[in-house]
Amino acid sequence: MSSIDRSLNLHVQNLYCEHHGWLQRWLDRKLGNRCDAADLAHDTFIRLLTRQSPANLGAEPRALLTHIAKGLVIDRWRRQDVERAYLETIAHLPEPEVPSPETRWLILEALYRIDAMLREMPEKTRQAFLMSQIDGMTYAQIASELNVSLITIKRYMRDAFLACLSVA
Amino acid sequence: MNHPIDPQILGEAADWLVQLQSGAATEEDHRAVALWRGRSAQHAQAWQRAEAIIGDFRAVPGSIASDTIKRIGRNKSIGRRQALNRIGLFLLAGPAIWLAQRELPWQEWMADQHTAIGEQKNLTLPDGTQMLINTGSSLNIAFNANERRIKLLTGEVLITTAKDPSPTYRPFIVQTRHGTARALGTRFSVRVEDQMSRLAVVEGAVEMRPVGGGQAVIVKAGEQSAFGSVSAYPVQPLDMASMTWENGMMVATNMRLADLLTELGRYRPGVLRCHDSVADLRVSGAFSLRDTDASLRLLQQTMPINVTSLTRYWVAVEPRG
Repeated sequence: MSSIDRSLNLHVQNLYCEHHGWLQRWLDRKLGNRCDAADLAHDTFIRLLTRQSPANLGAEPRALLTHIAKGLVIDRWRRQDVERAYLETIAHLPEPEVPSPETRWLILEALYRIDAMLREMPEKTRQAFLMSQIDGMTYAQIASELNVSLITIKRYMRDAFLACLSVA
Repeated sequence: MNHPIDPQILGEAADWLVQLQSGAATEEDHRAVALWRGRSAQHAQAWQRAEAIIGDFRAVPGSIASDTIKRIGRNKSIGRRQALNRIGLFLLAGPAIWLAQRELPWQEWMADQHTAIGEQKNLTLPDGTQMLINTGSSLNIAFNANERRIKLLTGEVLITTAKDPSPTYRPFIVQTRHGTARALGTRFSVRVEDQMSRLAVVEGAVEMRPVGGGQAVIVKAGEQSAFGSVSAYPVQPLDMASMTWENGMMVATNMRLADLLTELGRYRPGVLRCHDSVADLRVSGAFSLRDTDASLRLLQQTMPINVTSLTRYWVAVEPRG
């Protein structure tokens, strides 16, 4: 084991001892939920350790920790939004069309990624893209529905795919 | 985890996606895409993303996708109290595994590569693939003209595949006694235990196939699963906590002391015993796997326990006093 590894390990160990309690209280205040706070404090340290360059912890550990934690909170809220929307949707479905519990997680994960891809798209682009990907409409059908040229639709589609590829 | 891809290449991938979905795509186009994505590792990666995007839209039944997407973002004020229903990968190897490793000395020494207890070794394979071998592991490397195969006998590896310089396609396969995991351009780890082999995928995808001929299952980035000799287990979301060993650390939150010690025990030679009366104490903290002595000292400082060692190889954790 190199001395760099050893000092990094000790650094993280100390970081945890010194700031974990503080981070958890900070999250608890933000969220008003002790369980979530404990979960997210845990995930924050996991994220810190699985970053590409974990050695670069910076001079302001609490700033870095809250930065990571905030990202995780937002991430969690978005997942909850997606899950709630999904549950509301399947509540309206006839029994045979409700996905099995085994496929549910796969569908939710896909929906979550789709939500992330759609988030940054301009409204028109998003509308055209959904007509194509979800409703299965051809470019010509979308063009006539939205009353724009085929070239414009192709440009929307390219913008949309580029946005998706940049998020992935 | 994602490596940046040249925006120019992403733009070209977007052009191809538009063309392939235009309804006017020809056989020629499909051949051209196949050539395009073979141009570099970044091209291949960009196309993998493209396929993942299409896959995501296909994964959601049409009757659900449209309504759900419209509903997302409404009702934001409802309390955000849903606990995450995650299943931890820190299922801990019991003492039987420790013994099983020791009962295979012959196979271990036949292996091409071997790590001692507590050792981690980083290796670059002939094709450029990076392999990080975790504590107490042994494996054979068998590359030939047709395939790149790792036979994992004991322990755990984290693999980051490289684009194979060989002119013909050679699959990258990790084989355990339970079956095989075939990489589809990727970063993933495999861990052999008594009854099953665990698979965790960080990037790309891996196809796992039990040796007894059960159904092959594809595990994608952000997912984990396991396979026994006859069947694959259900796919679950990846618990990143299972990947921190790469940096020589583990993070415990409210973990049983006995479970924590079992995990630390994988990284040190000899016996690490836990007295029954402290086994169920709950521990939180970040612990070094590379310096387990330091981790034990930390435990002694923060818990009502005594760590006594007769020798470096016989350590007992007992109630204080």
